[in-house]
Formats: sequence, C-alpha cells, structure tokens
Amino acid sequence: MRKIVLFGYSKTGREIAKLLLNDEYEVTIIDENPLLVALANEEGFFARHTSFKDDKILIEVGIGNGAEVLFCVSDNDSLNLFVTLSARNIDKNLKILTKILKKEDEKKMILAGANRTISPYDVGAAKAYRIIQKPKVSKVLNQLSALKNKISISEIEIPKGSAWDGVYLNDIDIKQDINLIFLGMLDKDLGEKFIFFAKGINHKLDAGDIIVVLGSKKDIGLLEEKLWK
Amino acid sequence: MLARLIVSFAYFLESSKRYKRVKTAIYNLLENPRSKIKPYFDIFIIFLVLLTVSILIYDIEHHLPYHFEVMENIAVSVFIFEWIGRFWISANLRLRIIKYHERKLELEEKPKLSTILKIIFQQKLQYIFSPMSIIDLLAILPTYRPLRILRIFLIFRLFKIFRYTKSLNSFFKVIKDKKFELNFLLLLGLFAVFMSSTIMYVFEGGGENPKIHSFLDTIYWSVITITTVGYGDITPVTLTGKVITVFLVGGGFLILVLSTSVVTNALSEKMSVVREGKVLSQIGKMTNLIVIFGFGRMGQILAAQLKKGHKKFIVVDISDENLEKAKEFDYLYMHADASSYDTVNNIVFKNDVKKVVLTTNNDALNLSILLSIKAKTDKIGIIARANSYENIKKFHIAKADHVIFPYQTVAEVAVEYIGNSVKFDAIDNILVQKESITIDEIDILKGSDYIGKTIAQIGLDKLGVTIIAVLKQNGKEKFVFNPHHQEYRFQEDDSIVLIGEEKDIFKIKDEVARQLL
Repeated sequence: MRKIVLFGYSKTGREIAKLLLNDEYEVTIIDENPLLVALANEEGFFARHTSFKDDKILIEVGIGNGAEVLFCVSDNDSLNLFVTLSARNIDKNLKILTKILKKEDEKKMILAGANRTISPYDVGAAKAYRIIQKPKVSKVLNQLSALKNKISISEIEIPKGSAWDGVYLNDIDIKQDINLIFLGMLDKDLGEKFIFFAKGINHKLDAGDIIVVLGSKKDIGLLEEKLWK
Repeated sequence: MLARLIVSFAYFLESSKRYKRVKTAIYNLLENPRSKIKPYFDIFIIFLVLLTVSILIYDIEHHLPYHFEVMENIAVSVFIFEWIGRFWISANLRLRIIKYHERKLELEEKPKLSTILKIIFQQKLQYIFSPMSIIDLLAILPTYRPLRILRIFLIFRLFKIFRYTKSLNSFFKVIKDKKFELNFLLLLGLFAVFMSSTIMYVFEGGGENPKIHSFLDTIYWSVITITTVGYGDITPVTLTGKVITVFLVGGGFLILVLSTSVVTNALSEKMSVVREGKVLSQIGKMTNLIVIFGFGRMGQILAAQLKKGHKKFIVVDISDENLEKAKEFDYLYMHADASSYDTVNNIVFKNDVKKVVLTTNNDALNLSILLSIKAKTDKIGIIARANSYENIKKFHIAKADHVIFPYQTVAEVAVEYIGNSVKFDAIDNILVQKESITIDEIDILKGSDYIGKTIAQIGLDKLGVTIIAVLKQNGKEKFVFNPHHQEYRFQEDDSIVLIGEEKDIFKIKDEVARQLL
C-alpha cells in the first residue's frame, strides 16, 4: 500500500479522499479544524486533528517515514504554506502538491518546497471558458473523461534495450499503426519538465524517458508489445 | 355610430403592418434608447438648436440675409415634425380603445363615445402638458408671425438640449430627490430676506438712508447681502442696520453652505445610480453578451480569459470588495443583488444575452438565478458552479446546461500526481493552459479546401500539432478519435480538435478563414 498524506479535509480534500478510497492507497487525513476531522471520520476516512505546534504529528502520519505524496489542500492558504515548508524540511524527496488560490501564489509555494501547485478556481474558470469559447473541445474532453475505461491518458516508460531506446522521435512511424495519440514526454536528460510533442522538437528517446499517450488500454498493450520487437 | 367607427378604425390600424412599421421607425428615431439611429438624430437636433439661437443673436445687430430665414424655417419644420412624432408615439391609443371595446363586449354593452373620447383626450393632453412637450412647443410657437412678440422665447430652444443629455436629467432627478431639504432652506432664506428687509425699511426707510426709497430697495439690498455678493451700492447707515447686516451675512453664508452640501451629498449618493444607468444602456447595445454572476476568484479568472478572447461580458456582484477588482481591470460591472428578480430582468432578459455563468460560492443563490432565467427562457445557455457535491444533482434538475464542480475536477487531476507525475503535467497543462500549448477547435465550413482531403494530404501532421479528434456535423454526431492521417477525409461541418502551440493553431485558423474568402 502506498502511503498518502492529505492535509485539509476541504471540498477539494474530500474529493481527493474519495478518489483514493481503494486498496492501493493508505490515506491519512490531518486537519486543524476539529469539525472537519469529525466529518472525515464519519465519512469513513482515517483523520487526525493537529494544531501544528511542532512537526511531531507530520512524522507520526508518515512524512519522512514512508509517505510518498503529501496533498496540502486546506482552505487556509498560510497553513498550506506552513505544512508544505515543514514537510519539505523533514523529507527532501517527498512529492508535495499544494492548493493555491491565485496564480501569483504559485512561486511562493514552490519556494516553500511544493513540487506542483493546483488551483480549483483556475480549473473551474478554464472549464467555463472552454464551454463558452471552445464548445467542441469541451465536448471531446467531457467524453474522454466519461469513457474513462476506454480511452484515457497513460504513461509508458521506455525500457532499456527496447525498440525505441536511442531512436529519434521523427524516425518512428509506428504511430499510425496503433490507435494512440502521442501527447508528449518527459526527457530524463532535460530534467523534470514535461514536453508536448506539439512543440515540434525532434527528441532522442532514451531508456527511462516517459511517454504520455492517449488511447484505449488495448492499444497501449499493443504498443508495449511492439516496443520489444 | 361614431364610437363604432373609431373602434373599427383602431382595429384596422392594429391589423395594418405598414402602420406599425412606420410607428416603430419613428419610435426608433425619437425615443428608443437602444436604436442606432437615435444618437445621430439627437446630435442633429442639438446642432439645429444651436444654429437657430446663434441666428437669433446675430439678428440683434445685423440684418438677416434671405438664406438665414430659409434655414430657420427648415429648422422649425424639423422641430414641428419632431413634436408631432412624439405626440403620435406618446401613447398607444388603438390598444387602449381595443381593450376597452373588448371589455365592453364581455359585458355585452355598447362602447360609449364619451369614454372613448375621454381615453383619447386624457392620454394626449397629458403628453401636451408634460414639461418636455411644453419646452418643445415654446421652441416652435414664436416663429408663428402673430406671436412674433414672443421671440425671446426662442431662447427656450436651448432647453431642448436638456432632452438629449442624460446626465442633466439625472441631475434634476437628484435635485428632486432632495426637495424637502432644499425647500426648507429656500423657506429659511425667504424668511431671512423678508425679516431683514422689513427691519431695515423700518429703521432706514424714513429718510435716514438717502439710497433707500422704497421697500423694494431694502429687499434688493437684503438679497444682495444674504447671497454674499454685496455690491455696496446700498449700505446701512444706522447702528441697527449694521447689526442686522452682520446677522444677515452670517445667516446667508450658512444657508449657502448648507444648500451646497445638500446638493453635493445627493449627487455623490446618486453617482452609482447614474453609472449603472450608463452601464445598462451600454450593454443594451451589445450582442451575444456573457453575464458573469459572482466576481470571486473563479469569476475573476474567467473574466480575464474572456477579456483576452475579446468577448463582451458584464460582471454582477454585490460585494464592493470584489467589484473594486472589476473596476481596476476596467470591466463592465454592476453592483446588484442577484437574488432579486429585477436584477436578472434588467441585465439578462432585457439584453441580447448568449451565456450566463454563475460563479458565486453560494449554491442557493446560483440555483435561484438559474431558475429565474430558466423559468422564462430556454435560449440562454447557463453554466453553473456547484459548491458542494450533494448539490450537483439539483443543478441538473434545474436544467443547467453545464455544471462545473471545480473541486472534483481538481481532485481528479491531483490524484494523477501520485504516479510519475508526467501524466499530471500533461492533464494540468491541457486543462488550465499554463504554457503556450493550448487545446483548440477549428471548424471546416462549406467551401473549404480541406473538404475531401486527408490529414497527410493537407500536411497538418507536419505542422507540429496533435490532432485529438474530429467532430462530425458540428458536433451532433459522435466524434472520430485519432483520425487516420492517410485514410480519414474531411467533410463539410467537421470540427478538428487539436493540441498545439498557440501560434501554430492561429496560423491554421488563419489559413482556413482565408480559403473561404
């Protein structure tokens, strides 16, 4: 079981907890609001109350001690920052995702040690804008998320010694044989940044690079087979 | 008999399309605040007024050449046409007569001529004696020869200009609102003038003061003194007179200061109303308007994006703090309580609104706005934000066209971060557009060169964009996921959904648009 820590049983936190409610994850919720802690416990999650006088509770719930990811999604911006900072202080390799309220806060959170930030208002506004301005795009995206089992976004790591190890992207023409859309990749040589293929740069694929594809599970299986041919 | 004739004439007019068309045209020209032609007509009338008044002034010292008279006559004809036009459209007599007739029919009575005439005269006389109509008439009548003596009334034409300046109208409204205070101050002033002039007359009118010959002189002195003008042509000579003067000047100063503050106060109070009237008339002229209820964080981000996409929108919120931001960015905004029907009516129903976005953090409010709009019309697309998972269903029951529950979407993206985080970046970028990469759509309309060709033939695959899907028939049918580059041929009314650099997509859009020319 992968250990996940969720700080803040806010509306966002609640939705994340619901999505992670399966055997694969062990989720611990912490919150400074006793009412939300009670609510989380009532709804079947394991939640603990904390007042953040020291970092003891963070260590107790597994930060620096097996926890893989920390979500800081409480409604209190400064507490999110504080927890991000404390957790980063304990564990240098922990993956931290912090909720922000406005784009301007992103830099601040990253400085505090968050790996990524996310804003429900950004996502909501972008969605509303798409419905108004790009109705067809929003229709396609809606159907893609509705057909979750059929077509989804997946990531494939290029194995060492496979057919694509050391090949230039433009030289691969199997793309059309399988019903997959190649969205982009993470090049280990270029660091942590995700690159869209649509940027039009010709990359050299190496073992360990991760490709993001859009398609059905069946086709992804086909691709994985092909990599070994 | 005559009554029946009038009634049937009213029915005849009601059935005549041409009559209605002409009347609407006149209404658009003279009164309809939304019509495009009215502002030009207004400017034209203001120009005529200024012109004729200048002629009047010129006339005092010079002899008028012939063509000036012609111009004067043309101007007066226009004024007469304008007045008759307004007189005509001032009330819908035919509808009233028909209504009256129908009521009588129900009661199985015959329409009475006297009542019909009463309807006609009441309505029309009311218009004739309205202040604006009187001003208009005063501008016309002095031109009539036997009334030439009233020439000075031509100056009343200047008042006509008031009709066309909304701000002046609202100024008068402000004065009207403060009637009580201003009346009180006026009364106080009159009292002070009467009192002081009487005392002055008693003490100095009997020959003590050589400048004072009558009671009128002391009233004149009192008014000049109380208004702090103080010409000094009449000055008090006795001790009593001087004491009175001191009190009069003090009191006059107080009255002046008070009335100034009353008017300024009223003006600043009414500033928001004046501004709102202006905003309403501004949005009244727009088409395909988008209304955003709630200017919280989501509303602000959405507004910024709409502004970037050159869309026309207005923001409605009740919090001053939020609206400060709208002011800062120079958006159209309205300070209003969205839960009241009047707000929805004024902003949504009275204008050409295409989409309404409800972004407040209050589900009850969002639902109430949604229902008041949907109860009246189904033509306006509504995008609603749900703030709690339990309420999403209610929005669907209330027939919202789209429901956005931002917390769930965000959670779905957030959990992707648990894996390699690559997927998270991909989805996050597509959904929020953090970089120059964007997801967009391109419509292939009739006459496009793309029709009948494959993606490879057009060369779209070489342009560095990723094609996700093609929607058939403007999205009515299911979409084609990942269309085959060599096999799929585009058809009319296809829409391409693709991911790419903003500039690349713009290039393609530009080309598609050029093909249609």
